[in-house]
Amino acid sequence: MNYNLALSDETLLSIEKPERYIGNEVNSVVKDKDKVDIRFAMCFPDVYEIGMSHLGIQILYGMFNSMENVWCERVYSPWLDCDKLLREKNIPLFALESQDPVKDFDFLGFTIQYEMCYTNILQVLDLSQIPLLTADRTWDDPIVIGGGPCTYNPEPIADFFDVFYIGEGETRYQEIFELYRAAKKEGISRPDFLRKLSHIPGMYVPSLYNVTYKEDGTIESMTPMFEDVPATIHKELCLNINDVFYPTKPVVPYIKVTQDRVVLEVMRGCIRGCRFCQAGQLYKPLREKDVEHLKQLAIESLKNTGYEEISLSSLSSSDYSQLPELIDFLIKNCSEQKVNISLPSLRIDAFSLDVMSKVQDVKKSSLTFAPEAGTQRMRDVINKGLTEEDILRGSHEAFLGGWNKVKLYFMLGLPTETDEDILGIGDIANKVAVEYFETMPKEKRNGRTIDIVASTSFFVPKPFTPFQWARMNTKEEFLDKANKTRKGIMSQLNQKHIKYNWHEADASMMEGVLARGDRKLCEVILKSYKKGCIYDAWGEYFHFDVWMDTFKECGIDPLFYTTRERKDDEIFPWDILDCGVSKSFLLREWKNALSGKPSSNCRKGCLGCGAAAYGVGVCQEGKN
Amino acid sequence: MNKLRLKFSKNGPIKFIGHLDVMRYFQKAIRRAEIDIKYSEGFSPHQIISFAQPLSVGATSDGEYMDITVNSMESAADVMNKLNAVMNEGIKITSVAELSDSDEKAMTAAYAAKYVVRFRDSLKPDFDWINEFKKYLSQEKLPAMKKTKSGEKEINMKEMIYDYSFDEKDDSATFLLAMSSSATLKVALLFGTFFESISKELSPLALDIHRIDIYKLVENESEKYIEPLICNDIESRYYLNA
Ligand code: SF4
Repeated sequence: MNYNLALSDETLLSIEKPERYIGNEVNSVVKDKDKVDIRFAMCFPDVYEIGMSHLGIQILYGMFNSMENVWCERVYSPWLDCDKLLREKNIPLFALESQDPVKDFDFLGFTIQYEMCYTNILQVLDLSQIPLLTADRTWDDPIVIGGGPCTYNPEPIADFFDVFYIGEGETRYQEIFELYRAAKKEGISRPDFLRKLSHIPGMYVPSLYNVTYKEDGTIESMTPMFEDVPATIHKELCLNINDVFYPTKPVVPYIKVTQDRVVLEVMRGCIRGCRFCQAGQLYKPLREKDVEHLKQLAIESLKNTGYEEISLSSLSSSDYSQLPELIDFLIKNCSEQKVNISLPSLRIDAFSLDVMSKVQDVKKSSLTFAPEAGTQRMRDVINKGLTEEDILRGSHEAFLGGWNKVKLYFMLGLPTETDEDILGIGDIANKVAVEYFETMPKEKRNGRTIDIVASTSFFVPKPFTPFQWARMNTKEEFLDKANKTRKGIMSQLNQKHIKYNWHEADASMMEGVLARGDRKLCEVILKSYKKGCIYDAWGEYFHFDVWMDTFKECGIDPLFYTTRERKDDEIFPWDILDCGVSKSFLLREWKNALSGKPSSNCRKGCLGCGAAAYGVGVCQEGKN
Repeated sequence: MNKLRLKFSKNGPIKFIGHLDVMRYFQKAIRRAEIDIKYSEGFSPHQIISFAQPLSVGATSDGEYMDITVNSMESAADVMNKLNAVMNEGIKITSVAELSDSDEKAMTAAYAAKYVVRFRDSLKPDFDWINEFKKYLSQEKLPAMKKTKSGEKEINMKEMIYDYSFDEKDDSATFLLAMSSSATLKVALLFGTFFESISKELSPLALDIHRIDIYKLVENESEKYIEPLICNDIESRYYLNA
């Protein structure tokens, strides 16, 4: 146990939840620092409870610590009260396990899961007393490396990172560490090291590229400064998903965190080509894990953690071909151990309802549907293969099974959206209510009634999706649409059974700017941070007005990134990366969307997205 | 089915883990150790565990207690060993005892608790607190205002202090204080009221509190004494009104 905490007792007792800063959790790894030659600080730039819930960090943490000469520790964004104290007392930010300053580490890795955490990255660098810009760093500073979904357009944060790791983290770190050891031994310069690093597949060293712009502000070219630096960076992908490291001894926090359970990743990727979904494209092709392997992982993880709940994780668990067998096994094993099973992302049908009635309290749980749009036309545009009939049939069966709470998720601001699509949201919600009253005659309701929550989020176009060309709505358009949705719901016969929630438009707009932003935004992010913006992902701390002022100051129009119409042949900031699906496929899908043509899914018929080149997963199904 | 009482210590950084989280910690540890714990009935069954009085965040202890019910076990010692094999450093089961059905829960059996109190280095008093404290304690009555659910009420702390001593060299005080369902005196209230009585201010962060043990009352025809909830040593008894 590490008794030497970086913060004094007095400090820890004067801030909220001191448990966030003391480490020493079950399964956290402490090594002898004199016996390792690489110290890696792994950061999730948000508060502890959020960061500790992330599977990706647990994977890399476990994998790094399984390497003999590497010690990986964790870092999270200090909460605002602690942030203030660290600044006042000039205490450098520390890693949880050793409580040593992050600036003394060899690597500082960030997993970047959402755009609104960008200022928190700067917070962590700043509190660590590491120069914010890659250009200002020396060998005295750690190598700052970024990974995760947002690195598929890393340009808005390019100036802050030494390197981005594009793709799945399991594949290249050994090589990176070897190169680092050699560099230290040979005494080469930091820039030379970064240049050599760029030769490792998947490594994008942004400082090694020149970006030129056209007069209209769009990109003219992104070219490597040296011949040996690759012109395109291809994503890294695990070819054998059963062989890769999986953390069956994850760190178990003391305090309650968002994901307070064993997480079992059943597969990676998704067969469904929803056109708005970035994850669906980034993790292609779908690779399933072997069911026997999963059973073993489940048992080991439960034994090593003592968690009372296990959750299956994937983009669409219903598509896992061995699902019935896996669930049967879990139900058998878990009921003995009094372990709960949670099954998010299941499609509602007879099978899933049967399973859910076994693992949850039907009276308390709710059914979730994500039609995403209010009309079939709109759902064809986004290629969401869920029909009104599916929803009503699923609801009907669920009502018979005792459920009476339904959650419906929609998006507003999708390409080609009309008032009819918006009003369709209220229609669907109402039809679900009608279905309830028809399925359940009064005498069968036992005094209960139907309870529907319809939620809308504002659509944000993301890189590497068919909608990367799409115009995003303005804040005003969004609010107007939310209003129409609300009125649409209010005009329904069963409106008193329907509750409507919608998101903040300011945050969505900001997310839209950052998602498809370019390098010019680095300055805006840096300046906004210096003015005090952090925790932008936390509604109450997001200062939209400060951001807008900063855009003005920097002479940058944020709408350039959101509401502008993009031409088919525009060069995007992220075109320098290759995520495995081709731009021509995405464009084809964009055109299909505009003409309202749905596409099939990987199992019904390959769309020729380009990911077959990896030679693994769903693309190979039935070929051997 | 067996009922067990476990005594554990809580030291080092673990002292910042709050009571509820310590409970959650043990629930997981019991699963890791594969103890055949008894669960309650119903849709969301929970382990049959109960704890003695919570320790405040930041305090350490060598005398924490919890009672558990198991369906089966090899021996009480085996339960302790299995748990210790999965404990985090900083928390350690130090003894175990089997309870009979007539035994009260640790929470209700508790009668008093013993503490060693020091001042954190940065917040040490700038006066001879030990001598002042002795003078203070020698008074006939020690009135204090105790916060209750419905407001404040006056109590006499004197009746709730069963024993005390000071260690000049260590700059510390040891107190044996009432801690039962009918009367509990908190270290912070005692020190706070003392400081007030000499017009000094006590920072809420100043006290470094270590709980030594929790005691129960034993009363029979011939004697009346208190002893630790698990007592392996007659020496640790205190005779009251002797
Ligand atoms: S190549 Fe075909 S099967 Fe493979 S991921 Fe792409 S669309 Fe799916």
